[in-house]
Amino acid sequence: MKKKNICLAGFCAALFLFGAAGSLAVWFRPHGSWVNVMQDGMVLYSFDLSSTPDQTIDIEYNGSINTIQIKDGRIRVLSAECPDKTCVHMGWLESGALPVVCLPNRLVIGFAERESVDAVVK
Amino acid sequence: MDAKKLTQLAMLTGVALIIFVVELQIPNPFPIPGVKLGLANIITVYAVYHYRAKEAAMIVFARVVLAAFFSGNMMALMYSMAGGIFCLAGMIPLKRIIDEKMIWVSSVFGAVLHNIGQISVAVLLTKTWGVIAYFPFLLLSGCLAGAFTGISAQLIIKRLKNKGGRLL
Repeated sequence: MKKKNICLAGFCAALFLFGAAGSLAVWFRPHGSWVNVMQDGMVLYSFDLSSTPDQTIDIEYNGSINTIQIKDGRIRVLSAECPDKTCVHMGWLESGALPVVCLPNRLVIGFAERESVDAVVK
Repeated sequence: MDAKKLTQLAMLTGVALIIFVVELQIPNPFPIPGVKLGLANIITVYAVYHYRAKEAAMIVFARVVLAAFFSGNMMALMYSMAGGIFCLAGMIPLKRIIDEKMIWVSSVFGAVLHNIGQISVAVLLTKTWGVIAYFPFLLLSGCLAGAFTGISAQLIIKRLKNKGGRLL
């Protein structure tokens, strides 16, 4: 009984360490300068942040608007009409692997693996 | 199901909802979607160990649906529901293996399964695999939140035992 409990606690600790290691790996993953703005799995915009002029873009989903801001080579969600505003609180897109997402509006902003040529650039 | 049992389940659902509403008022320091303490799951953990599978599931589903109305965040309903289903599907069989004295372990597994459910829905809804990058963060927070809610449930059970009875 005692042994089983130690095994179980050890398994929990392993899950925790796996999560910690994974989080660090995701957070510090390097990235390029290309960013994709995706909605419902489709690329709406693709930017090269190093050369895109400062701007704000409104993206609508079922009547709810997310305003995306590009400034000084960085991108963030400036404001959102969803109830939780998690995407706004996430701030600027920093990590190579961790996208900024607005789940209610199905919006994903993340660094692209390679330069997407086929995307519409506005 | 007799009236007494029904009242107990309704009472537990009510307690879970009150905990949920109180937790809504605590600002979340981690701006990562899906990361929260989930204190209402103290009741889930308690119910899984003290009621039949069907009854625990009734409490969780009623709480998830009503919580979505109370918070006004209907989108969260799908994530919470998927999380709740995964969590129950894992915890109900696990309670045969994990003793009530180790309820926090069970709670950690429940929380991690909850996160797996959430992230699956997020991937399906956004149709973007990149969202899975959130999983390590959810795993980390799930372990901590699960251990916390589990230990809370353990304390409650211990105190109730001292008073020689169940919650109700």
